[in-house]
Amino acid sequence: MAVTALSERPEIHRLPQYKYVDAVRWLPASSAFDRFAALALFDSDSGACSIEIHSFQPNPVTLSPHSSWVSPSRVFSLKTSQFRQKPIIVASTFAGSLHFLFSDPADASLESEVSVPENPLHSGTISCIDLMDGGVECVTVGEDGRINLVAIGDSNVTPRRVFDSSGLVSYTAAKWASPMEFATGGYGFSLQWWDQRKPGGPASQFKGNWPQKMTPGIVHSIDIHPSRKHTCLAGGPLGTVFAWDLRWQQQPIILSGGGAGAGNTSIQSISESEVWEVLYDPYVKHSTTSSRILPSMICSEDGILAVLEQGGDPIELLAEPCAINSFDIDRHYPSDVICSLEWEAIAILSRQ
Amino acid sequence: MPGVASDSGDGRSEVSVSSNGALVPISTEARNSIVVYPLHHGLEPPIARLAISWSRGNSLRVSVFRPPSVEGSGESEGQVGGKVVEVKLSDGDPEISDAQWRRIAYGSVSPFALLQSRRSAISSLSWGSASTSPYHLDWWEYVMEYSKDISSLLSGPKLPSNPIIEDSKTIFKKGEEPTSLKAAWELMELFYADKQSQAWLPERLVDWLADYDSLFSSTLATTHSKLVDFQNVLVNLQVIEDNPKYWEVMSSALAVGWLDIVVKMLRLHGSYQLDQLSNREIENGLVEAVAVLVSKMPRLRPESAAGQLGDCLKSKPDFIKAWEKWRSQITKLDCSAFWIQCNNHQTREGLKNMLQIMLGNTESLCTATCNWIELFISHFLYIRPFTMGVDSMYILAQKCIQLKPVSSAHRLTGLMIGILGENTEVVLAECSREYGPWMVAHAIELLTAGSEHAEILLHEERHNLGGISIVELHRLVYAQVLSSHALTWQIAPIYLTSCMKQGMGLLEILLYKQPVQHNEMLLKNIEICRLYDLYHVSSNIMKVAGVYHWKHGRIGSGVFWLQQAQDAIRLHKIAQQLFDSVGKSISDESFKQWEGLIELLGSESKTAGGLEFLRKYRDFKKSLQRVPGEKSIDAAREAVQSLILLMKNPSTPQRFWLPLLYDSLKLLNWQDQDHPLLNVSETNLLLNKLQELSLARLRPDFIEPSLPPNALSSVRLALATNLGRAMLDE
Repeated sequence: MAVTALSERPEIHRLPQYKYVDAVRWLPASSAFDRFAALALFDSDSGACSIEIHSFQPNPVTLSPHSSWVSPSRVFSLKTSQFRQKPIIVASTFAGSLHFLFSDPADASLESEVSVPENPLHSGTISCIDLMDGGVECVTVGEDGRINLVAIGDSNVTPRRVFDSSGLVSYTAAKWASPMEFATGGYGFSLQWWDQRKPGGPASQFKGNWPQKMTPGIVHSIDIHPSRKHTCLAGGPLGTVFAWDLRWQQQPIILSGGGAGAGNTSIQSISESEVWEVLYDPYVKHSTTSSRILPSMICSEDGILAVLEQGGDPIELLAEPCAINSFDIDRHYPSDVICSLEWEAIAILSRQ
Repeated sequence: MPGVASDSGDGRSEVSVSSNGALVPISTEARNSIVVYPLHHGLEPPIARLAISWSRGNSLRVSVFRPPSVEGSGESEGQVGGKVVEVKLSDGDPEISDAQWRRIAYGSVSPFALLQSRRSAISSLSWGSASTSPYHLDWWEYVMEYSKDISSLLSGPKLPSNPIIEDSKTIFKKGEEPTSLKAAWELMELFYADKQSQAWLPERLVDWLADYDSLFSSTLATTHSKLVDFQNVLVNLQVIEDNPKYWEVMSSALAVGWLDIVVKMLRLHGSYQLDQLSNREIENGLVEAVAVLVSKMPRLRPESAAGQLGDCLKSKPDFIKAWEKWRSQITKLDCSAFWIQCNNHQTREGLKNMLQIMLGNTESLCTATCNWIELFISHFLYIRPFTMGVDSMYILAQKCIQLKPVSSAHRLTGLMIGILGENTEVVLAECSREYGPWMVAHAIELLTAGSEHAEILLHEERHNLGGISIVELHRLVYAQVLSSHALTWQIAPIYLTSCMKQGMGLLEILLYKQPVQHNEMLLKNIEICRLYDLYHVSSNIMKVAGVYHWKHGRIGSGVFWLQQAQDAIRLHKIAQQLFDSVGKSISDESFKQWEGLIELLGSESKTAGGLEFLRKYRDFKKSLQRVPGEKSIDAAREAVQSLILLMKNPSTPQRFWLPLLYDSLKLLNWQDQDHPLLNVSETNLLLNKLQELSLARLRPDFIEPSLPPNALSSVRLALATNLGRAMLDE
């Protein structure tokens, strides 16, 4: 699989924010001229937390503050989607509250906000949220072992509990697969498949035969491609990125990492530390008939942003001296990637 | 910062002089220098007690307590007993904000780390040879690279180019707002690190002043401020050459070597105007002659920046030749007869004065320059244009200070005198006092590159510093500053690990101090432990995290972290508590809830502590479920094996013995085959356990399992029957 498109180095712009960037996402673009990104910021000088919408200009690359919303606590998880042709931003906070921000499709100014306070959903931090395509429902998971679904209406939201493990199992990642199914991830590389038609517990549970010496870790992020909903892509510690194919339950497909002592020397590890986020990368061309895992992008604690392909060498896009905590690929302009750097900065990559 | 208090009214008290009990007696002469800030805590007087402690970073935490309320008085109803107020002491450098400082701190990590790794690479190469000092190698080249990287971080914000009087009337333009920090850094780079341009140090100083002259405007008169003032009145001037300011400003600019500005200003002279040209021909000729001389001034330097005037000459003999020629041209012009024909008095005097400056007339230079630094720099340009030693520079500086004494010292002049005086301690003290710990920790690299003497002085281990060197001391201080901020603590390890004596100890303390509540931060912490091979620290941190999660009801997280820390003791304790709830929920065959946790425990029992029982119990229950109707003999045998393993295992809690046996009744009463499922020894093992159990029931801490009352007797009966059958069978 030649990736000639990436042979050129991408254009990289680092933009200092002077505030800690907790998370960053693109907003669904309404036109090529009006592009926006949502930044969850924490000002350590004043202790203020906010979600800011910045308008993005590609030529020359600039991010300029457009509108902002004051958050009651630091943002832990941030997702964006489209709800009835309107960009919607969902944020969960350290304190455990959940906020839905609806913005204007034309100028991305914030129109309205619906919040769910701390206690009813989770006790403690909501570790991950995910919005269904079309934004009708949002799944929330927490360390407390609860899984909730929040149905989004025009001016209100209705939460309902799907599962409560009473803390026996903690969940750290979640991703929708279809309107009925979603996947969750947690400690010890555990992955669960949930089907709303089969209530009461996970429909399927991943029990990987991991190499003996491998240290089990926490799944930080999951992605599922709409065209291949049977495959869960997950990222964890020591540069581990693996895929779980529901049809091949027992065997994880390791794309990176997996421990140096695992004996599988054919797989390189792109990073040596926590993989914070994984996303399928629609920019890299891939034959639709191939049975291989689709190309994906990861970011890590040791400052790596890279593209992974099954059976190919990983391509490093960024190697920063500090952690890359989150990133997002613009769905409409997949050549553009935005990422948040530990050192109070944003990096924007434009791939030619 | 709150304003200075004039009095201490109700509801506020003064921190230092509060309630007669000042810790340090304040002498009467010091009283004048005390600044009192009111603290608004909103408590009703009287205030009984005040406690002050350090908070994060530059903040003080002041706790204000009221006296304990008197019973029954009812006076303090609805009153809070005290309040805690955080007081931010200062914003540090007014020039650079906290956020800007953090950006500098982040940016200097990579250059610093690179330099340290190069240092250790070099010292490991030269290990065993006579000198381990990197000074002998081309070390300064690495230091220069480092210095340039750091310097690029210190640039102020870019100023928008000022197009107001662009073209002819803009005398000077600015690129970026100069910062005193960058000026100080570059000054040190010039003297200590940049060995390549030592030969043209005087010219480098001229350039340095050109970049940073404006910084001195805060406390001194400067040519820069004169130029700014003149620029402002320039547009309103009709006949520019009649204004004495014009000549004054121009000679000042010439004295400090801003040749392009001088030439630009000379060309603004009225005699250049087309309608004037014919009747002021001689005057114009003189102006132009001076302009040409100024622009042709020989300079001993490799090349000048774009747009700068002067003839640059690299070799000294060439320069001397050109210098002599240039001087003779000036003298010739000075003695020319044209001056008598020039009837504009102002022009004549102004130009003559400029010639005197170029000829190095001390008096003219002294008048033209605005402060001692400018006078000092002008000496390099017009009096002693050759390289001189730092010691003679120092003497020259002293002389200039005598000629142009300063009323109040500037932060940069103190540093400059320290450098010229070749006094490393003074330079360090100035850096520390004026620019803070970041500056000292990073500038020390420049100082040590400067000379072997400084290198020895700074790296020498000192008894009075507790056996550490000055270098290490300042790195530790800087690391402490970084550690005190939630966003910069992560870069403190880079500096701590470069401290041989006390760095690792402080690093461990730093890592232990970080909060464990959130996995992301915990993992960042553990990552640092991994980078520096501090596995005992990460293991302790994971134990703390495990207990934290366990206490907050997140059993799975707690178990995971304790497993990672391989803390069998705590896992065992957790297991005992967990089994209380297991007994109830697992016996009703609902594994669903436990499944996730059991999966987490993994197949390797050694990391699970007492919890391995959970997995075995689950396996046993599963195999028991697979024994449907009493048909499958293999499944039944498997279940028996699980049962025996469980009963043999010392980690199986006693309270599960009877439920396990009771659950296995159908195995014990297996009638389908001729042979019983359990042989004699197996049955004996189970009977022994039953015996042990009946003894244990006498103990007061025994927990009775919730089973039917006949459970024990039916198990005993089944075992006895089984024993009989097994004996017959054998």
